[in-house]
Amino acid sequence: MKVKVWGARGSVPAPGPEMNRYGGNTSCVQVTLADGETLILDAGTGIRSLGFALAAGMPNINILLTHLHLDHIQGLMFFPPCFKTDSRITIWGPASPEASLEHRVARYISAPLSPVEVRELPCDVSFRDTPVSEWELGSARIRAESVTHRGPTLGYRITEGERSLCYIPDHEPGLGAPLDTVERDWISGFDLARGAELLIHDCQYTDEEYPEHVGWGHSPLNDALTFAQRTEAERLLLFHHDPLHSDNFLDSLLGTAIKRWEAIGRSADQIELAAERREIEVGAARELATG
Amino acid sequence: MEGTQKPLELILARNLLTSLSTPAFLVDHTGMLLFYNEAAGALLGIPFEEAGQMGVEEWGTRFGPFTSNGEPIPLEELPLTIALREGRPAHSAFRIRSASGDEHDIEVSALPIAAEETSGAMAIFWPVDAGRENGEATR
Repeated sequence: MKVKVWGARGSVPAPGPEMNRYGGNTSCVQVTLADGETLILDAGTGIRSLGFALAAGMPNINILLTHLHLDHIQGLMFFPPCFKTDSRITIWGPASPEASLEHRVARYISAPLSPVEVRELPCDVSFRDTPVSEWELGSARIRAESVTHRGPTLGYRITEGERSLCYIPDHEPGLGAPLDTVERDWISGFDLARGAELLIHDCQYTDEEYPEHVGWGHSPLNDALTFAQRTEAERLLLFHHDPLHSDNFLDSLLGTAIKRWEAIGRSADQIELAAERREIEVGAARELATG
Repeated sequence: MEGTQKPLELILARNLLTSLSTPAFLVDHTGMLLFYNEAAGALLGIPFEEAGQMGVEEWGTRFGPFTSNGEPIPLEELPLTIALREGRPAHSAFRIRSASGDEHDIEVSALPIAAEETSGAMAIFWPVDAGRENGEATR
């Protein structure tokens, strides 16, 4: 199972020369399974470039949405396969008693926000509520659970054979709960992340910034590290960077993260900040070429 | 106590109750007392960390509750039980006895918590007196 980051920014796209190394596109991660099938985690603006890179003749595409905040769906309307008649796209997302997933996504892909409507897309697109129980896509087993964020929001665990990936890009498990001491069955997302070989987790804020953003649905560095430690995730990829955080700022944040990670007995090569086009082989903990 | 991860709705409810200065209880769909906050611990005379989780039969009798005449109130008439079994908010006034023997007249409002796979209920306790000394006659 291979992971490639196409967008790691949170909240809003943040283009600019000072953002080039980590990238300014919002959440989108490509997961390539052993059988060659591709799963796409979230449809932020990073999905546009992913769409161009997808091999021609890949008709079946599964997009797993964690939630419907704009930074996680904004790229959908610019995803090239949406405009190919031979594409079959299934969009999975959180159920809501308020309206169907299609109806809620269509609020964005409709006038006056969009020049096209969902029904006008030439691809074969369908919308599916994520099941409560585990289900299979290709050679992977998928599990989704609600996690602490603003509004209905899911985290995903993708398991293929012995390899496991957990993706919780928007998560504030420390809200009202001291993560270092609360019993683990009371920690949001614990079962999803438990023992995952790669945990991709929210780290929007520094610890100094967090007090001004409590309840906004995102984690500070300390909570991201504590969550990874409590869940015994093997490798941590910090994600959902604040749009105000430049490359230099994020380099500094990574330095702090590594020091703290090592202070709790973990290896510096098992933690990093997500950067666009970064590829990671899950399980092998082996880096692939970037680019 | 470690076990299966709780539904997010109950996790968030516990986080809320933890932050409240109003006494509050949280139970799961079976009536198991999962948590009560510090304010409830002060009212009951024992912090949750000491009392721990307990079944409905235990918490439904350990602290009373009883009427102003001293008669025990059946479990099925307690607001939390009604919220769980009937899936609706419920309110009642009664008397409880703390672990130290003090008696308190309280009002209780309970509401069900619906979750995807299971459910629970929470209750807010409002003390309507300043507490009674151990052994003082009830009204």
